[in-house]
Amino acid sequence: MTRRIVVRLLQAAAVLAVVATAVFVLLQFAPGDPFAAALDGTNVPPSVRMEWRARYGFDLPPAERFVRWIGALAHGELGYAASRHRPVADVVADAVPRTLLLVGVALALGFAAGILVGLVQARHHRRWPDRLLGALTLGGVAMPEFLLGLLAMTWLGARWRLFPVAGIASLGDTATWPAWERALDLLWHLALPAVVLAVGVAARVARHQRAALLGVLGEDYIRTARAKGLGEWRVLWHHALPNAIGPVLALLGLALPSLIGGAVLIERIFGWPGMGLTLFDALLARDYPLVLAAVLLATVVAVVARALTDVVAESVAPRRARIP
Amino acid sequence: MHLLTPRRLAIALCCLAACRGGDAASPGGILVVSAGADAETLFPPLTVGNQGRAVTELLYDKLADIGPGLNTIGDGGFVPKLASRWEWSADSLTIAFHLDARARWHDGRAVTARDVQYAFRVWTDSAVGAAQRNALATIDSISTPDSLTARVHFRERTPEQFFALVYTLIPLPAHRLAALPDSALHDAPEMRAPVGSGPFRFVSWTPRVQLELAANETYYGGRPTLDGVVFAVAAQGATVAARLLSGEADFLEQLSPTDFAQLPADGRVRAQAFGGFDYAFVQFNIRDARDAGRLHPLFGDRALRRALTMAVDRATVVRSVFDSLARPAIGPFSRTQWTADTTLTGIPFDVAGAARALDSLGWRRRGGDGMRERAGQALAFALLAPASSRTRQAAAVLLQAQFKAAGVQVTIEQVDFNAFLDRAHRGAFDAMVGGVRASPSPRGVRDLWGTSAPGRGALNWGRWSNAAFDVQVDSALAASDTASVRAHFRSAYQTAIDDAPAIWLYEPRIFAGLHRRLTTGAIRPDAWWSGVARWSIDPAQRLPRDRRAAVPR
Amino acid sequence: MAGHTWRRLLADRTARAAAGVLGAAALAAVLAPWIAGYDPTAQPDPVALRLAAPSWQHPFGTDPFSRDVCSRVLHGARISLGVAAGAMLLSVTLGTTLGALAAVLGGWVDGVVSALVDVLIAMPRLLVVIALVATFGALSPWWLVVLIGGSGWLTTARIVRAEVRDHQQREYVTAARALGASRWRIVWRHLLPAVAPQVAVAAALALAAVIPLEAALSFVGLGIQPPLPSWGNILLDGSDYLTTAWWLVVFPMAAITLTVGSALVLADRLRVAIAGEGRPS
Repeated sequence: MTRRIVVRLLQAAAVLAVVATAVFVLLQFAPGDPFAAALDGTNVPPSVRMEWRARYGFDLPPAERFVRWIGALAHGELGYAASRHRPVADVVADAVPRTLLLVGVALALGFAAGILVGLVQARHHRRWPDRLLGALTLGGVAMPEFLLGLLAMTWLGARWRLFPVAGIASLGDTATWPAWERALDLLWHLALPAVVLAVGVAARVARHQRAALLGVLGEDYIRTARAKGLGEWRVLWHHALPNAIGPVLALLGLALPSLIGGAVLIERIFGWPGMGLTLFDALLARDYPLVLAAVLLATVVAVVARALTDVVAESVAPRRARIP
Repeated sequence: MHLLTPRRLAIALCCLAACRGGDAASPGGILVVSAGADAETLFPPLTVGNQGRAVTELLYDKLADIGPGLNTIGDGGFVPKLASRWEWSADSLTIAFHLDARARWHDGRAVTARDVQYAFRVWTDSAVGAAQRNALATIDSISTPDSLTARVHFRERTPEQFFALVYTLIPLPAHRLAALPDSALHDAPEMRAPVGSGPFRFVSWTPRVQLELAANETYYGGRPTLDGVVFAVAAQGATVAARLLSGEADFLEQLSPTDFAQLPADGRVRAQAFGGFDYAFVQFNIRDARDAGRLHPLFGDRALRRALTMAVDRATVVRSVFDSLARPAIGPFSRTQWTADTTLTGIPFDVAGAARALDSLGWRRRGGDGMRERAGQALAFALLAPASSRTRQAAAVLLQAQFKAAGVQVTIEQVDFNAFLDRAHRGAFDAMVGGVRASPSPRGVRDLWGTSAPGRGALNWGRWSNAAFDVQVDSALAASDTASVRAHFRSAYQTAIDDAPAIWLYEPRIFAGLHRRLTTGAIRPDAWWSGVARWSIDPAQRLPRDRRAAVPR
Repeated sequence: MAGHTWRRLLADRTARAAAGVLGAAALAAVLAPWIAGYDPTAQPDPVALRLAAPSWQHPFGTDPFSRDVCSRVLHGARISLGVAAGAMLLSVTLGTTLGALAAVLGGWVDGVVSALVDVLIAMPRLLVVIALVATFGALSPWWLVVLIGGSGWLTTARIVRAEVRDHQQREYVTAARALGASRWRIVWRHLLPAVAPQVAVAAALALAAVIPLEAALSFVGLGIQPPLPSWGNILLDGSDYLTTAWWLVVFPMAAITLTVGSALVLADRLRVAIAGEGRPS
């Protein structure tokens, strides 16, 4: 087991190095630099921009920049995000917890709702609740997240004013609020983006959960349980679910990259300043130290999540052998 | 005064405010501004974008500010700020500024002449790379005969020397910064928590989220009416507008035409026009996109540029994209600039005339798709547009259809802003939808449309070159009475219009969006933030978010 | 045995309905020039006729440039589905090839492909594509196919690799090998047909993933260049008018959701058919 983990880590590190190089090379071909964004319609002469480029080493040959970046990375330094006038580490330290919160809450909500919907569908298999929820979950998967986000923001936020439109905290003097009030405020702002992201997750989870439950419900031990006169919900909850949850939990690791991808546009629409938005802005600003750091981070998170998922899947799987 | 730490000072001030509060006309309320971008930095020499200027100019005062008439010649109309008065030497090569003895930095130290001198050093040091450094090129040095007098020595007399100085140079707190080498200023923590001299002091900044300022209780110009200003930042245009429409924010600098259509019927949010200095154009590349040594195969030809201009119905473009929120542009200037002239003769929209001109140039319609060609070569070009600007994209789509009707094949290339700017800088385009925010000074026209040479044409991406235009602009900038400045600019503008280096598209009329609880008075077109210290929020319509900070312990 | 799968699929009513929707969308795309009432780029009157609500003349209304939304959605199907189908084909071909190679050759090839898949699959695809588009500038639909397709082969490769490895252990393959069939002959004659249903599942899923991707790319202004209509850039044109002109969003949204939903249902039913249970939903 340890050996496998070590091999896998080494593999991941090697590929990470390849990815970092590829992203770097790609960004060298992309025209522009972090100093362009400020220059739309302004009267700043190009000579000033050249000075800024020189100041942050954007005039060095790409190879030298890469060596410098790698060298700094070896010392644990992520470099300087020129588009933000801050060290990359500071920018990332601000953004990562916000994205973890958003994605974490979306995952939790999505899985809870999805498993529940799957249960209801399995319970009422081929009757109207199943069909209705089936259509809804299909729509939930098929509808692009950014559209749902945009609709939620304009209608629920701006038009009906049920939720805050954007940001992570109420405006004004929130710094003086008690901690619990600030926490509530944060959740309040989290509501729309997290729910929008959770819809897609829930729909996917529900579809898997339903299929997995239906697969299990045909088995002998379920018939035995039913024969014992247990209620249908009890059968579902205590006997079918534990055996049908494995494949659904395996989704967790797979859902993360697409969730992070989906979070980019959602964070943009709801002004949620997490890693997705940071990465998107950094890409458009050609701020390569920030892009590289963000890409590496997203990759590491996803790889770790996959590894965790594997462990969870392995620990859940044996139950199938044990219970029947 | 030295015994007062900033914290103690803050406590003292808050107590003072608490004693004063009570009556209905009392100051208060927190202005929330919905912004589409964040300041890049809070260090005045390095701010470029509008948002950066807004924040730094609330935090820092200038020596003097331009008057409501936006005159840029001499010192007419200028309003004293940090300098309570100034006097010119007989030869106009020296101006002595007398600082207001009451002016204080936010940490309580007095603003001195040394701060002016230091700021000049920072602004002109290439290690800092101040964006607007060129504006100070005619200043030789600044001396400090005493702590409240800064004497500015100019190398030469120019009509706009006073404007260029006070509009650009912002005194900086030398006592806090001078110990740092200039090259370290960029990244100094001080830049993220600045100590200024203006009507508002810095409270907190979460980059790309929100920036909070509080009233400077001891401001020498009198305490601002508002308790504070909060800038709430969002990236997506729809979100920025939604903040205002939902009542989360009180102010939005510029309503887009679509925002305008969504203004609630109950009058909760209203629009207020304040001019604006933007103008947009389709810029032709006069030189070959690949080889600057050659003329562009199409746009090197003045007659073709004029014919293409004639084929464009700008009034329709403006009404479709902006409804009534913009006007067709006239030439290389904004109507808000004082040198603007609305009586110039432009190239009229004339479909038949355009067709005749194109025919006579040999571009004839071919059978089949009806597109024009000459010697087997189609009349076709690419139109570059930035993906960051919805209005410029929309204009490109409308123009494309109009050109198609005239037999001209246009391909739109919509690229992200960095790629757009890069190609503009390299001259690697056929034509592009450009836009400029002009300044009150008409001087910028020389960089944008003058022949590329040292000191001019630095932003002339289309590489248009017209000797008559250059001479006329130079004469205008050298003239010292407003009448002859106007006259010279009038002929320069007419030259540019006739030679058609660009199709002058539109000038947005900027409407700010305001919550009705906000009272602003007139908004200055070049800087909406200039009067914020006098803005107020109706006490009857205060919200929970207007609560003042508790006294810090 | 793959043959049974296809037969079971054909017998499945839900699968037929989903295929029917996709077929109808494809037909609309092909026939768009003949069935659309207007030129999708024509701007009859961009002032008076902009943002007109649905009517008999314009059943889906008009957009901010006075263009007929119905015609644009129909022609948009050409671009959106064309790009999606092209990208799907490319990614499935790439994925099948790489997956099969990894499974058959094993060794370092397998190591490299698996490691690449493991890490690349962790990178948000939308961002990868945005980075590529930003690098290469305004792209023709063909290049979009290459970029989107080139970034989507991972899932297919993973599925095909697992399936081929699984089938390699089965008796019929061992038997063929014993009969002296060459390695590539076995791959071509036995393994690929055997994994074809799984590849079809991957293809349907790829289609379902690519359509929203194109929409998202166009939504940030970096996808299909105007004036060509795609479902994504119709949405972009409509995104400023969500509360004032619903028809700009509802119709392309319905088109996207219907086609993506059908592709998903098809993938589902295929899986059921493969499992052989033939359980009706």
